[in-house]
Amino acid sequence: MTAILEIQHVTRRFSGLIAVDDVSFVLQRGEILGVIGPNGAGKTTLISLISGTLTPSSGDIRFEGRSLARVPAYRRARLGIGRTFQIMRPFPGLSVLDNVAVGALFGRRGGQAKLAQAREQARAQLDFVGLGGNVDQRADELGGPGRKRLELAKALAMQPKVLLCDEVMAGLNLVEIEEVIEVIRKVRDGGISILVIEHVIKAIKSLSDRLLVLHHGEKIADGEPGSVLANQVVIEAYLGKRRT
Amino acid sequence: MKRLRIAFILAALAVLAAVPWFGSDVLIQFGINAMLLAVLAQGWNIIGGYTGYASFGNSVFYGLGSYGVAIAMVQWQLPFGVGLVFGVVLAVVFAVLLGVPVLRLRGHYFAIATLALAQVMTAIVSNVKLAGQNIGLVLPPLNNDPLFYELSLGLLVLATLTIFWLTRSRFGFGLIAIRENEEGAAVMGVNTTLYKTLAFALSGVFSALAGGIHAYWVTFIDPESAFDISLNVKMIIMAVFGGPGTVLGPVVGAFSLSAISEFLSSEITSLAGLFFGVVVVAAVVLMPRGLADMLRRFRSMGWRYFAENIRTHRL
Amino acid sequence: MDLFGQILINGILLGGLYAVMALGLALVWGVLNIVNLAHGAFIMLGAYVSWYLYTYAGIDPFLGLPITAVVMFAIGYAVQRGLLNLIVRAPMFNTLLITFGLEVVLTYLAQLAFSADFRTINPAYAGNSIVLGPVVLPVARLLAFGVAIVLTVGMWLFLLHTRLGRAIRATAQNLVAARLYGVEPRHLYAMTFGIGIALAGTAGGLYGTVSQINPYIGAALTAKSFAISIIGGLDNPLGVIVGGLFLGILESMTTLYVGSTYADVASFGVLVLVLIVRPNGLLGKAA
Repeated sequence: MTAILEIQHVTRRFSGLIAVDDVSFVLQRGEILGVIGPNGAGKTTLISLISGTLTPSSGDIRFEGRSLARVPAYRRARLGIGRTFQIMRPFPGLSVLDNVAVGALFGRRGGQAKLAQAREQARAQLDFVGLGGNVDQRADELGGPGRKRLELAKALAMQPKVLLCDEVMAGLNLVEIEEVIEVIRKVRDGGISILVIEHVIKAIKSLSDRLLVLHHGEKIADGEPGSVLANQVVIEAYLGKRRT
Repeated sequence: MKRLRIAFILAALAVLAAVPWFGSDVLIQFGINAMLLAVLAQGWNIIGGYTGYASFGNSVFYGLGSYGVAIAMVQWQLPFGVGLVFGVVLAVVFAVLLGVPVLRLRGHYFAIATLALAQVMTAIVSNVKLAGQNIGLVLPPLNNDPLFYELSLGLLVLATLTIFWLTRSRFGFGLIAIRENEEGAAVMGVNTTLYKTLAFALSGVFSALAGGIHAYWVTFIDPESAFDISLNVKMIIMAVFGGPGTVLGPVVGAFSLSAISEFLSSEITSLAGLFFGVVVVAAVVLMPRGLADMLRRFRSMGWRYFAENIRTHRL
Repeated sequence: MDLFGQILINGILLGGLYAVMALGLALVWGVLNIVNLAHGAFIMLGAYVSWYLYTYAGIDPFLGLPITAVVMFAIGYAVQRGLLNLIVRAPMFNTLLITFGLEVVLTYLAQLAFSADFRTINPAYAGNSIVLGPVVLPVARLLAFGVAIVLTVGMWLFLLHTRLGRAIRATAQNLVAARLYGVEPRHLYAMTFGIGIALAGTAGGLYGTVSQINPYIGAALTAKSFAISIIGGLDNPLGVIVGGLFLGILESMTTLYVGSTYADVASFGVLVLVLIVRPNGLLGKAA
């Protein structure tokens, strides 16, 4: 397996606060990498660094072997990096279909030129995530789970090579979580490498090929899910040190 | 249903185009003013309504268009058409040079920067010899109101068609995406800097053309009148009142507000300006999403529509 | 060299006036997040109030400032409580638009009420100057400067050290918490805006002693106040002093060395520069 995404000693500071601290790891082609950690561990910051919304204070991020330094966010999207947002912000004035169509119009390699084709693609993606029946609704009329799927469809419409998922399962019930897991697996089977941030440990354990744990901005574990979750350091990070 | 709409619009256009034949001189002049204002409102609609960057300084492009025509015709003896092109070039250059730094600013900072720019233009141009400095320029007279009327109408149709094109083009979708969620748009692959600047320049093109036609029509410009700051209020309120981010909203807003203002100013002159201010204030409180939205929701909600708007936005 | 010194002093004195002009705007903007495009119009109103007090009641413009302040406070409170409070939760653009409209209304009302003539407030001592070595200090400008500094520092102390000041800042940060504090936000917002307008009105009264007033000065003063607030930075209440002095000196220098019509151009140029390079202002955090 080759690495499609390499994070090399990336640090990000916010006037005194270190959000991401010397983190290094790789995302292999075709794998699902889970990222977990307590709140404030730096997970969303990490995704923002990869998608280009933020730039690292130091360190390098490489995509398909090439450095992303000084590559603006929109160009990264065209190279094939797609992301979903944790705080779901659909384009409220647009319909569900048109929300996804934006992704099709602008994604990889600049996307579609014609609106009609973009809408067709959007329809396909919405069917894929299970929102086929909602295409003409206003995006802000969708409920929470619907919005999560919309986020996913938008990102997929960009035809990404790498998909960064930021907490797509938060607030879903067990059945909905199973459905999302299925969708993500289908996405991976389509050839896309996925990085998933999640809080729902059970879900991410069954979904991920590998697991990464962040705590206070540092990487404290990286490996096979079972062993990572049994790791004492990881347990302490979540539950706090046991007082003897 | 759609065909009915198109037929209606075409009929309205035909009536409008025919006005110079059966209308009075006063009506023709009112028409020219109203249509040029509608063009300005549509121009603003591109950058403010669709891209979400509320420019308070489009009067700058209007003035540049005016001076473009005036300088070309008076100083260089070039024809009107060339003057128009020159004015547009000035506006586009300006939009790009100043747009790139200023469009990096968030909403209200952008508004302030454009407002400040609008304030300064009068002072700057007063120092330019080529523009006639403080005294201004007198253009060669052309006494043909019907011609200017049809020119204005043509420009308005062009502007409105452009907006219509926006609603179904990749470029337009990019602008809407920027308006709704700029960070999200960038992450999805929209080159936000490029698109914002293009939108700004496009709005400048229409404003400049309107300014150029107006200058030739009134035959005289000076810094104060060309860079008239009150135009900013008018174009914004017309676009917002009629419905920002819609195809016909600004046109409806421009025509209706012009008509009411004309009616009022035949009573007391200074009331026209006061009227605009009051309309702005009332509209922002009672119908912040414009006439289009009000007409749509009023049918189902009645007077509650206004109360609802206040309730959602009040402290 | 003497001329340079004089211009510098002129700039500093002007800067003080500019500082108090921008103070009300910066307060309302920084604390309430209300961008008041009608700010200049309120300065204009305050100038007229002072003018009327002086012309018809014979009250010295400087001594009468508290009266002007109270009158303008009442107007500001009413405007916020009755009008602006209605759109506080709306998108920022609505605030811009409504205050824009307010500016138009105020200007036209002033034109109707006061006519378009130029007026000045000219107490007997206005023409006097104090000579300090090589520089001449006009009394009116010196007094204006003094009042400006007192007000600005006073406002800074007020916000940081008084109960009301802290309540205002708390409300700005967090409406819910403020309610728990026992504060009524509508009243507090109106108080804050009232203070901001009182400051604007006071600035107007000072402005009237050093320059001509007419109903149309509002727009230009608004633009200037914005430039000062942005250049100085909104995070620190003392920012307006920095911004005011900077702009005052810049304008004086530009008038002398380049030409008076370029003074506005220079201010605008600096404004745009600051917005691009250091959007939080000279006293603000680095972006």
